[in-house]
Amino acid sequence: MRVRARGGEESLVETGDSASVREPEAELLEGARRGEVSAFERLFQTHGARMKSLAANLLGTPSEAEDAVQETFLKIYRAAASFRGSATLSTWAYRVLVNTCYDLLRRRARRPESPVSSVEPPVDFGSAPATDHPLRVDLAASLAALDSRRRAAFVLFEVEGFSHREVGDILGVPEGTSRSLVFEARRELQRRLLGSREARA
Amino acid sequence: MSQCRRFEEWLDRGTENGFAELETHAAACGPCREELELWNRISQAAPSLRKRWESPGLWVRIEKSIHESRRADEASRGRKESRAWWPLLAAAALFLVAMIGLRVFRPSLGERELLTSRSFSKPLLTEDALSDVEKSEERYVASIERLSRLAEPKLRQPSTPLLISYREKLLLLDTAIAELRSQLDQNRFNTHLRKELLAAYQEKQHTLEQVVKEEKS
Repeated sequence: MRVRARGGEESLVETGDSASVREPEAELLEGARRGEVSAFERLFQTHGARMKSLAANLLGTPSEAEDAVQETFLKIYRAAASFRGSATLSTWAYRVLVNTCYDLLRRRARRPESPVSSVEPPVDFGSAPATDHPLRVDLAASLAALDSRRRAAFVLFEVEGFSHREVGDILGVPEGTSRSLVFEARRELQRRLLGSREARA
Repeated sequence: MSQCRRFEEWLDRGTENGFAELETHAAACGPCREELELWNRISQAAPSLRKRWESPGLWVRIEKSIHESRRADEASRGRKESRAWWPLLAAAALFLVAMIGLRVFRPSLGERELLTSRSFSKPLLTEDALSDVEKSEERYVASIERLSRLAEPKLRQPSTPLLISYREKLLLLDTAIAELRSQLDQNRFNTHLRKELLAAYQEKQHTLEQVVKEEKS
């Protein structure tokens, strides 16, 4: 069903079986546990751009996304020494990021009057095909209307290219639940896109 | 919305099962084909939502916040370590004060002997004093026996509420006297018990006198 290849250049190590891929993650985790700032810098260099993109799609603005990424790195720095999870450091970092975004959304919901910063850095939306450009705008609008859990699953799987196993690890749900969440998100998006298309017609 | 409900029904099922059959159907059904195209285009358009922008200052901010957190942790740890000595220091200070207090206020051997003799001799009677007290008690007992004989007919059949209450009081006094005598059997020299017993005898004598007077009136 899926027409595009999964997993980009930033694929997580969970799906990679080669020792050459797993080893740097283990080293990274050990360094992070020792509190070495260089380990966090390597994690940022490898996953920072993807983390910003994920946070921007969940929160809506680049400045909030950067704040979320900063908060995430601080959280994982503070908790790395006691991290004993079965997930890799990067999977854990994405999980912390998603939860941080949820927290920020909840805080925002409690303060609906707070204005969103009007000064935003220029955003490069990637190299979408020209034919898809109108759909991208509608898709972004429809995506913003989804509930945060389905939106996170959709963004992780469809936008950022994580596998369902990785999405499950990040969201703390079984792989099957990740499939269901993504399906439900697509169904909701399909209905919203059809609705807006018919409204325009 | 399309007239054919096949795609909608597939969506409502909530799983990807049956997608191959739907694709076959959509090849011959225009409205379903349109919906299927949109379905596929969502996945095709999704990667275009990836947002990439330069944030040259972000790592610097993160690094700064990590260093600040580290400094705060170290300061907190330092405070905790210094605080860990406080109970030990307090205990040592308390011990020192206690030792100084003992040295300053501890009585000498002579004083201690005097204190001991005072505290133990005072509540106890000497043999001579005890003999005098016991004679006094015997006099009370004799007097009480005489009065009891006089009051007995009236107490056996009390005719007034006052006499009933005197009888109750005498019963209580007898119980108290018996209790005190029992305790004195174990410690004959106890001044306090002797005083209590004497007071009880006095009260019994006085009560019996009241009964006798009541009888006469």
